[in-house]
Amino acid sequence: MSYELIAILMFSGMMLMLMTGQRVFGAIGFIGAAAGMALWGVGGSDIPFAAAMKLMKWYPMLTLPMFIFMGYVLSESKIADDLYKMFHVWMGGIKGGLAIGTIGLMVLVSAMNGLSVAGMAIGATIALPELLRRGYDKVLVTGVVQAGSSLGILVPPSVVLVLYAMIARQPVGQLWLAGVLPGLMMATMFIIYIYLRARIQPHLGPAMKPEDLAEFEQISDHPLRLNFIVLGALILLPLLAMTGLSDAKTTAGIALAAAVGSFALRHNPMFYKDVFMKEKHRLLFSGVLPLAIFAAMMVPFVNGWTSLVESSAIGAMTAFVAAVLKGRMNKEVFETSVRSTLGISCMFMWIILAALGFGAIFDGLGAVNAIKDLFTSQLGLSPWMILILMQVSFLLMGTFLDDTAMLVIVAPLYVPLVGELGFDLIWYGVLYTITTQIAYMTPPFGYNLFLMRAMAPPEISLRDIYISIIPFALIMVSALALVMVFPQIATWLPGYVYGK
Amino acid sequence: QSTIKWRMQTYAGASLGEHVIKPAIDMFNKIAGDRMQIELFYADQLVPTGELFRAMQRGTIDAVQSDDDSMASPTEVTVFGGYFPFGSRYSLDVPVLFNQYGLNEIWDEEYSKVGVKHISAGAWDPCHFATKDPIRSLADLKGKRVFTFPTAGRFLSQFGVVPVTLPWEDIEVAVQTGELDGIAWSGITEDYTVGWADVTNYFLTNNISGAWAGSFFANQDRWNELPEDMQTLFRACCDQSHYYRQWWYWGGEASLRVNGPKMELTSIPDEEWKTVEDAAVKFWDEIAAESPTKAKVVEIFKKYNADMQAAGRPYRYG
Amino acid sequence: MPRVITGYIRGVDAMNRFIGRIAMYLIFVLVGVLLWSSISKTFFYPSIWTLETAQFVMVAYYILGGPYSIQMGSNVRMDLFYGGWSTKTKAWIDAFTVLFLMFYLGVLLYGAVGSTAYSIGYFGVEPFSFFWDLFLTLFTDGVSGVQEKLGYLERSPTAWRPYLWPVKTLLCIGVILMLLQSLAELFRDIGRLRGVDL
Ligand SMILES: NC(=[NH2+])NCCC[C@H](N)C(=O)O
Ligand code: NA
Ligand code: NA
Repeated sequence: MSYELIAILMFSGMMLMLMTGQRVFGAIGFIGAAAGMALWGVGGSDIPFAAAMKLMKWYPMLTLPMFIFMGYVLSESKIADDLYKMFHVWMGGIKGGLAIGTIGLMVLVSAMNGLSVAGMAIGATIALPELLRRGYDKVLVTGVVQAGSSLGILVPPSVVLVLYAMIARQPVGQLWLAGVLPGLMMATMFIIYIYLRARIQPHLGPAMKPEDLAEFEQISDHPLRLNFIVLGALILLPLLAMTGLSDAKTTAGIALAAAVGSFALRHNPMFYKDVFMKEKHRLLFSGVLPLAIFAAMMVPFVNGWTSLVESSAIGAMTAFVAAVLKGRMNKEVFETSVRSTLGISCMFMWIILAALGFGAIFDGLGAVNAIKDLFTSQLGLSPWMILILMQVSFLLMGTFLDDTAMLVIVAPLYVPLVGELGFDLIWYGVLYTITTQIAYMTPPFGYNLFLMRAMAPPEISLRDIYISIIPFALIMVSALALVMVFPQIATWLPGYVYGK
Repeated sequence: QSTIKWRMQTYAGASLGEHVIKPAIDMFNKIAGDRMQIELFYADQLVPTGELFRAMQRGTIDAVQSDDDSMASPTEVTVFGGYFPFGSRYSLDVPVLFNQYGLNEIWDEEYSKVGVKHISAGAWDPCHFATKDPIRSLADLKGKRVFTFPTAGRFLSQFGVVPVTLPWEDIEVAVQTGELDGIAWSGITEDYTVGWADVTNYFLTNNISGAWAGSFFANQDRWNELPEDMQTLFRACCDQSHYYRQWWYWGGEASLRVNGPKMELTSIPDEEWKTVEDAAVKFWDEIAAESPTKAKVVEIFKKYNADMQAAGRPYRYG
Repeated sequence: MPRVITGYIRGVDAMNRFIGRIAMYLIFVLVGVLLWSSISKTFFYPSIWTLETAQFVMVAYYILGGPYSIQMGSNVRMDLFYGGWSTKTKAWIDAFTVLFLMFYLGVLLYGAVGSTAYSIGYFGVEPFSFFWDLFLTLFTDGVSGVQEKLGYLERSPTAWRPYLWPVKTLLCIGVILMLLQSLAELFRDIGRLRGVDL
């Protein structure tokens, strides 16, 4: 049988199996196993199990349950509640402000877990109902939550980037840093879009009136001034330490100064114009928690004090302890986080297990040669055309194939090619991640779609969900294009931090 | 008659395989043409290295290039594959030991017992430390998590080294993610070739072995099924591979020490390093005590080194 | 539905739920091992066993937790068409396609058993009869008889050198549990087709 035929058979077989709606890992595993039995010759039946041993040795997989656990602790224990309030209180007064605040919330949540699940859950359970109640347009806000939560895999820590790192054999630390600016850029693009949209069609995102805000047991119609400095300092702190621009001592000093400063501010009426400012400051401190969790994990990692997997355990523990200290870790929260972590981890691990087996069989049968051939010689394309074609093929495959499976099966074929074409594999990791994010939320198949459908309040229909992502998907495609044209957006930060 | 197809997997990643095996396989395929084609796969590509032996024994993979140690062969000679501490000083020692001092026969016997054909052994590079922080004394070894071979790791742990074994392709990243402080797996040629020189800063010129011993193996049945001329051709290509490595590493080691820009050289003084060499003598005896076959191999190593010593320069200096 | 079948479903569900609920707490073991790894390395002397131990725990976590995750419905499906089908149609198709899943698990198990046999020194091609033989020996000659039949015990090629048969046995057990659970799912689907919710 020719390589082309094998490639076509295996792929179309997999597609067909997936269409039946059987569990993704079963569908992929079956095609791999069947091809191994039928075409390999002696011992083909051993490959699916060999994949289990390979998976065991993939040590970065240990971070998977950790980052997932962090996310669940965060969303279940509602330690994000205050955060959410903070954004509402601070931003509510602007047209579209609540939606903008939700994006901000998502950025912080993304910094505390490795997937988009937590962001989704927090967005759908805390932010969505509130936004709807405030008269925000349901299509707009559905899109906001989906787009915002997808930042989870671009802003470090990121499970998808860990997986990519393993397959492309690139350093996770650099990949994570490479995701930071594109992630923030994308968040900014979302915000700009929301802002403009709300300006043009104010009914989509009405500004909250002071009376509304008072419901939050506080408030002022004065946008803050000085206080942004505090907030800014808090956000910059971990970054400072991480990028090595400041050492541990200085960072601690700045933190202390910021803390004392804000303490002074909240107690000195000279510094705030109204009584509600006090509440604003109080809430501002809720932003410290996620940053502390993020820093507890990232600072030791980036400085090389702890390894990747160790850092992930520190992150998981910090999140857990934070929830306990905040008095939010009750029996139910504990149970749900632990159980859901198992469920999601199992889903991932079984898909990867099946996909690794599929991939090795695909490779051993020579089908990889067919794909390489197609891209390099048969189509006769320029490197950029090949690159774009690959992204398009990811998007197309993403309509039916699970993105983890896609990564495990397809990336091993693409990544060496991309390297040979002279592209930077760190940069490509970011391109891959953004593409995956788009695939995550575009119908018919995508985790975010599943989750959104499962979590959305009843008044949001499937149609709403599908329509809602259109503008955001377009923004993400433009972000993708921007990162393609200006690779520095991704490569500058890791180059800066690790370049010294 | 249809083309015979073999799958072969090497312990090496693609960047190293480019030198240590690919030229030989390309040559084989070119000469064998329609009669036989070998498809080469790199580290962990089809099966993880830990499963490599069984996969070959079972016929999932037809042939393998590896050392006995890292693929964990279930034989008595496994500890001697890879880097047996201070077993050899120069890369020429390895083929001499196998071809003239009787290791070939022992290996052949041991592998026949487990359904695997040992085709031939050859030498690679010496075993040096490449680390993030400098090693200038034995004390600097303490607490360093180092990627190394199972047997070398067992030996080195008495000096406070913490041996770590990970998939070969993950090493560069593991140094960057902090899983490893260094690598004691190769000479400087490989450090540069596979990218390890980019993630470490120092190269220790003292080595714990002058040459790595690795082999070509095949599934016994697959081997027996080959027409005789294909067997001969395969052997010839293996020898070509051994030959290529012989000069590629030897020249590379010297050239990169002198001209390589990426790693700073450090040394542990000879008197201090003597502790390690002496420890190796003890280690050899420990190994010899484990079984008669091992005792026999250790005996050969001892005899060989004594002969070399007696032969004087250029075989041994001092 | 026949009593045996309903009993089977209930039994397997309960067992896998029980095992899965124990497995889910392994996350804390994992955290503990990894924290110890960072503590020991920062303050004392790096441990040689932590990474591999963590890997073994991770295997136990997802392999033993797998059947429970099926019960919880955590395993995604591509629901382009599936999502729109009626319960009955779903049951029809599932009852059929779960056989493919079971085929995959069967192949996985076959490999696992072979590899486990290898890990205790059996190099032949009939691992099942080897285990059967071991099983019989256990009755005729007891544990010492079994020990005599074992060959070269496979160890992990690391400096710690743990034996590999425990983790491989664990993998066998996990895959068997998955198979049992899949069969329960099949019965459940057949039940649905007959209008019984099990
Ligand atoms: N997995 C192995 N056996 N690796 C052997 C490595 C020895 C030699 N320095 C090399 O890397 O080529
Ligand atoms: Na994240
Ligand atoms: Na999609």
